Amino acid sequence: MRSRSEARSRREAVVPARCMRSLWIAATLATAALVAAPTLTYAAEMPTFTVVLKEGRLHPATLEVPANTRFKIVIRNDGPGPAELESRSLRKEKVLAPGATSFVVVAPQKPGEHDMFDEFHPDTGQGRIVVK
Amino acid sequence: MGSALIIVWRESVEAILVVGILYAWLKANDARAGMRSLMWGVAGGVGVAFAFGAVMLAIQSQLAVQTVEWMQTAIVFVAAVLIVQMVLWMREHGRRLKGELESGAADALRTGNLARIAVLAAVAVGREGAETVLFLYGLMVESSGAQLAQVTAGAALGLALALATFWLLSNGVRWMSWRLFFRVSEALLLLFASALLVGGVDRLTAADVLAAGAGPQWDTTWLLDDTRGVGNVVSQFAAYRARPDVAELTAWALYWLVVFAWIWRGRILGLFARGATSRG
Repeated sequence: MRSRSEARSRREAVVPARCMRSLWIAATLATAALVAAPTLTYAAEMPTFTVVLKEGRLHPATLEVPANTRFKIVIRNDGPGPAELESRSLRKEKVLAPGATSFVVVAPQKPGEHDMFDEFHPDTGQGRIVVK
Repeated sequence: MGSALIIVWRESVEAILVVGILYAWLKANDARAGMRSLMWGVAGGVGVAFAFGAVMLAIQSQLAVQTVEWMQTAIVFVAAVLIVQMVLWMREHGRRLKGELESGAADALRTGNLARIAVLAAVAVGREGAETVLFLYGLMVESSGAQLAQVTAGAALGLALALATFWLLSNGVRWMSWRLFFRVSEALLLLFASALLVGGVDRLTAADVLAAGAGPQWDTTWLLDDTRGVGNVVSQFAAYRARPDVAELTAWALYWLVVFAWIWRGRILGLFARGATSRG
């Protein structure tokens, strides 16, 4: 009697797990398909800007970027310590060890102004991004 | 001192949310083996944080930097999946776990689940921990003498604040009924997993792997600003976006679709069955 009820409870436990796995797979595939489709259509070159973080300051402190266009910010940390370039309103952040380089790609924006600062050096490392 | 305090505390709140709920839940169910895996997970997470911090400091080449960033993005998605799995598992077993343990037929907490608890705790602690390690390392490199002592004091105070928050959360179950605690923690964890998922999608669009579409679809900054205060907290823990793009909206909608489909699968299947019998 006991073994039968155990077998049943095990079967009950297995079926939902399998269901869940297929749900997850379906969701992943759907997300991939939906989001990959637009990616393939415009993988063109985009305007690129460079910001260098050095001694707690941003160089340049102001970036002027074109409106309604995707753009890329290449970020380099010239040290001496770790730094983090962040823009709260654009929701981008990048932590970099000294000597490291990385980038973020930003979606098309309307004309306006966004913040940009070094979160590890907020006293000196303030800047802005002007979209026009 | 102030910034060290704030960063240590803020970065640990996420980990506290996950570990605190697991802790309260395991304690209420008197699951000692689970508690041990939780401790091991937290210790492992601290190790992971230091390892990530050390690796990030050691590497210079763009390829290596991007590889580490990829691993961090992968961890965000893994964390989201683990949390949802945890909630679903808690839903399945939560209400009867206590009874099962008392009757000695506790197979709900088998080795697979113990490992899952440990991994979830490690991911929750290690994920944001690496950034904290780098930040504190930077502060220590760039300051000296009295300043250094202040930074250390700030970090220690931040940790104390984090532990106090943990205590408040894990003992919260005493002030509310078990059922209410169960509901609240379930909702918090599901919201948090959605925030991780949307945050992971943000990372993918920033890395130029996904397209964000034509930029922000609308702007509700006037209503609730996601860059500061309450709005910022809601964005970090519940995926709120004042200016969402197409990728974020898609991920968010699909997430809740899957979660609710799972939660209500009994009802949905029931509807189908009723439809079939009425037709027949």
